Amino acid sequence: MRIRLALPVLIAGLVVAGCTPTASQVDGPSEQQGAGALVVGVTSDPDTLLPWTATQFQAVNVLQNVYGTLTEFDSDLEVVPGLAESWETSEDGTTLTLTLREGVTFHDGSTFDSEDVVHSLEAIQAEETAAVARTSLASVTGITAVDPSTVELSLSTPDAGLPSNLASINMAILSSQDETSALETAPNGTGPFTFTDRTPSQSLSLQRFDGYWGEAALVEGVEFRVIPDETSILAAMQSGNVQLSVLDDPLVAQSAGAGITIERTPQLSYHALQLNTRRGALTDQNVRLAMQCAIDRQVVLDTAALGEGEVTGPITSPAYRSDPADRPCPTRDLDRAREYLAAAGEADGVTITAIVSQGEYATSVNEAQALQAQLAEADITLELETLESGAYVDRWVAADFEAAVALNGGRPDPDGMYGRYFTSEGNLNEVAGYSSPRLDELFAMGRAETDENARREIYAEISGELEAQAAWIWLFTGYTYTATTEGVSGFVPLANGSLQNLRLVSVS
Amino acid sequence: MADPSPRSPRRLRPLRAGLLGHPVVSRLLGAVATLLGVAVLVFVLLRLVPGDQITANLGTEAAALTPAQRQALEAYYGLDRPPLEQFLGWLGSVLTGNLGWSGRAQVSVLDLTLQALPITVELAVLAIALSVLVGVPLGMLAARRPNGVPDTLGQGASLLGLSLPAFLIGTVLLSVLSYRFGFNPNGQAFAGLFDDPVRNLQQMLLPAVTLAIGISAPIIRTTRAAVLEVRGLDFVRTARAKGVGERRLQVRHVLRNALVPIVTMTGLQLGYLLGGAIVVEQIFSVPGIGRQVLLGIQQKEYALVQSTVLVIALCFVLVNLLTDLLYRLIDPRVRLS
Amino acid sequence: MSVEVVPDLPVGLRRQGVTGRVLRRPAGAVGAALLVLLALAALAQSLGLLAFDPAVQDPPSRLQGPSAVHWFGTDQFGRDLLARVLSAVANSLRVAVVAVLISAVVGTALGLLAGYFGRGSDLAISGVTNVLFAFPPMLLALALTSVLARNWFTVAVAIAVVYVPIFVRTTRGATLSVRQVDFVRAAVSTGQHPLATVVRHVLPNVAGHVVVVVALALSWAVLTEAALSFLGLGTPPPAASLGSLILDARTTVFVAWWTMLFPGVLVVLLVIAFNLLGDALRDALDPRGRR
Repeated sequence: MRIRLALPVLIAGLVVAGCTPTASQVDGPSEQQGAGALVVGVTSDPDTLLPWTATQFQAVNVLQNVYGTLTEFDSDLEVVPGLAESWETSEDGTTLTLTLREGVTFHDGSTFDSEDVVHSLEAIQAEETAAVARTSLASVTGITAVDPSTVELSLSTPDAGLPSNLASINMAILSSQDETSALETAPNGTGPFTFTDRTPSQSLSLQRFDGYWGEAALVEGVEFRVIPDETSILAAMQSGNVQLSVLDDPLVAQSAGAGITIERTPQLSYHALQLNTRRGALTDQNVRLAMQCAIDRQVVLDTAALGEGEVTGPITSPAYRSDPADRPCPTRDLDRAREYLAAAGEADGVTITAIVSQGEYATSVNEAQALQAQLAEADITLELETLESGAYVDRWVAADFEAAVALNGGRPDPDGMYGRYFTSEGNLNEVAGYSSPRLDELFAMGRAETDENARREIYAEISGELEAQAAWIWLFTGYTYTATTEGVSGFVPLANGSLQNLRLVSVS
Repeated sequence: MADPSPRSPRRLRPLRAGLLGHPVVSRLLGAVATLLGVAVLVFVLLRLVPGDQITANLGTEAAALTPAQRQALEAYYGLDRPPLEQFLGWLGSVLTGNLGWSGRAQVSVLDLTLQALPITVELAVLAIALSVLVGVPLGMLAARRPNGVPDTLGQGASLLGLSLPAFLIGTVLLSVLSYRFGFNPNGQAFAGLFDDPVRNLQQMLLPAVTLAIGISAPIIRTTRAAVLEVRGLDFVRTARAKGVGERRLQVRHVLRNALVPIVTMTGLQLGYLLGGAIVVEQIFSVPGIGRQVLLGIQQKEYALVQSTVLVIALCFVLVNLLTDLLYRLIDPRVRLS
Repeated sequence: MSVEVVPDLPVGLRRQGVTGRVLRRPAGAVGAALLVLLALAALAQSLGLLAFDPAVQDPPSRLQGPSAVHWFGTDQFGRDLLARVLSAVANSLRVAVVAVLISAVVGTALGLLAGYFGRGSDLAISGVTNVLFAFPPMLLALALTSVLARNWFTVAVAIAVVYVPIFVRTTRGATLSVRQVDFVRAAVSTGQHPLATVVRHVLPNVAGHVVVVVALALSWAVLTEAALSFLGLGTPPPAASLGSLILDARTTVFVAWWTMLFPGVLVVLLVIAFNLLGDALRDALDPRGRR
């Protein structure tokens, strides 16, 4: 009898206690970090704390707040000074001289100077480091410290994209005194926050670095709290346990209830159907053009992502954005699709197999299904091979596919974004599945050109060429959604999805 | 492994056959063989799953690696050694208590497991406790008058419990409670039982209830069947005839003798829960052992997954051994033989 | 190794009227009716006899509530939810039946082998069974579906592997007790071929146990397939699965409750149907349950 009564009472007690959270329960970390700590909801914790090898979104987000880079991006993704106060390119374009900021210290108190820059850039270039930004320094042949606050980079060819490439967190400047193995557990950077501690797959905490060279952060600390999926993150925000989160899934963002502000930011990353022009029916340009004409990008966007995004051409960075109307079939044209197919001698239809990743990002399977339905109306059968994300990456990396439904990351500089894909020497060219002498020539011109307007024209031409050849089928760019609860203000989202502006956030 | 320590020296004489034939010894040997089999199986399965830690970490960026970079990474993750060497190396270190290193978490797998295992055990014990507290009385109530109203209700409840998938209960509970009522303790940072017992229990409440719904069903059924069987036995009739009070009769005589199948069923459920709460742990972000394995599989952290699965299997084997021992203790018939 | 889960007493299927006895029980009748109804609806959907195709998208009418046209409403692509739910039921049935068929055949054969011939074969088979039992079942299915190229059949195979040990144990235990029964001993002493003895005398007498487990395993298989799909590792899209429908509904449920309700109800109904049948079968085959 007693048991039967006690149990419901106990449960009811827990429920009531949970419904009316006391201050200490809402601000979980406040007990450890003092008032004013910000809780950021993330779906996964960083898979590495080494900035040079970090590609995972969550790792990049944490490390951007801990480490510093020579250059940085402002909210329009224009390159602005970071650890380098200014830089200058020589007349012939083969020397880049960086003037470093003085009075910068690492979190461990050591002083930042040119030795750290040389050490870091050389390590990034060394193959055994396995740094992902190694190829961004391909044009750099020599790195010399002229004096403690000056570094000179000698270049084999002019490289207009270099200052922008230096802003990547994969180019973070580490102290020359640190061993990378030690940094895996105890990061030591020059960023606005210092690493304090982490509980694997639960949370990671940062604390304000008062010695930061710029304006110090407004919040005292940040806790990245791991909640495995976005629906649950939103649920945690609804109950006030998490204050800020960057969401990807438009459906989740749309389901946000009262008390949560959602801000949309157009992204550099783009959704595309990658075609491998070196395989099967897709070697024929007409087949590729037929596919391109058979697809209504707006409908794919509307169905797969609830219309949350914009139809796009190849280049997505604001300064160089491709005109989405500059393509063989700016709007869906089934008649022309059939003509192209007939020209390819495939009037009866073709079958293309596409790999689709399941779980890597929210809209992948939806997109694939929308594409499949549309192409079917033009007698093009798109067979879908749905793969667990590990298997998908394996196939993608090996370029073992005819077509791939992909969400690829974008970069502010178009050379950094596509040079590695569509030049015959590019390290991702095998995956891109297309190259031509004309594109090689255009990319070389773009790299050597320093005049902004002239560069824009060159990249517009590259974009037009990619579309005319139907190298891939570019679909749309999505948004990311910055969700904040009441009282959180000041966050400036970036088009690369970065959380680098956490120091501007205040919690009232 | 354990010292078989026979109780009397007389048993030592037929050395080989005697030792191996001893039920406890053969049990232990069987357990060791089973664990070895689990080790082989998990090792092979992991190598067959596409992708490795390099592609798991770098994603599509792995395509940009030069051969030299790839080699450097393979050496770093220990992927350059032949599989047999990897297996024996891992097994060897496990036997010395070193479960491996998690590169992602930068913590030893032993530490990770010591953190995650108690959480899963707590969740499993809570879920079992809830379902026993609900299931045994319900089962006894149902058995009081077969096919009466309580029985029909109990049968219906257990049928529903068996048929509701945990992921559905979890999803619905989480959505409804957090959206409609703002009750979402699992959105807070996870609190250990000894750090903040109140919050910990709040966080365990929904996952435990979710699991308990599924587990109480077989417990209701087992209890009902066992009680019905015991009640028909002579000694209960005798006791009743002797005028033993109904309450005392139920608890002292009926329940006690119906305990064997109930304990067996509970042990069985506990064994499965220790490795089977993955979906619920995932939905409610409970940092238990199931999520540790799931994350490990996603990140292709071979040593982590191998060692954790081995730990889960060890728990399963131990729980079964204990259930068996307990069963021998409770059941007078088994004790005699 | 661990606790034997064998239904009580050897029972044979030879005794006539099992079907009748099952259907005469309310549980059996309700279960069978429910299952037939669901199977017929799923079959009608699979044969294209119903109004909508589960894969055809109609963006303008997305996320519409239940109506005379779309009985269960539409999903985010404007696909008819009734069509999707029914094809998901078809998929669940297909996966569950194939998985249980495979595991029952393989498990029973191995169980007979181990139970009847004993010794080496028993040691080997029981050893493997113990390993599979100790391996967390969800992880085993999960790993297997990631290893194999994913389609409904490989999902069924993965689930089958998980359930083989249950059939091995059931059959082995039953065989061990049947072997001691007089008529089997008699058959052995007349010099009959062991295989013939197994098929003629042992198998019919353990079949009852297997049939009961089959019904229960069908309900577990439906649940396992749904859970795998919920984790994103079951039947791959665009084919609908009850688990993936519920997974998708997590994000739409607040604007469109029907996306969660109908798949949820259907998965529960399907499992209830198998459970009711299983209960009725067990009662019908259990001599003590005969009234």
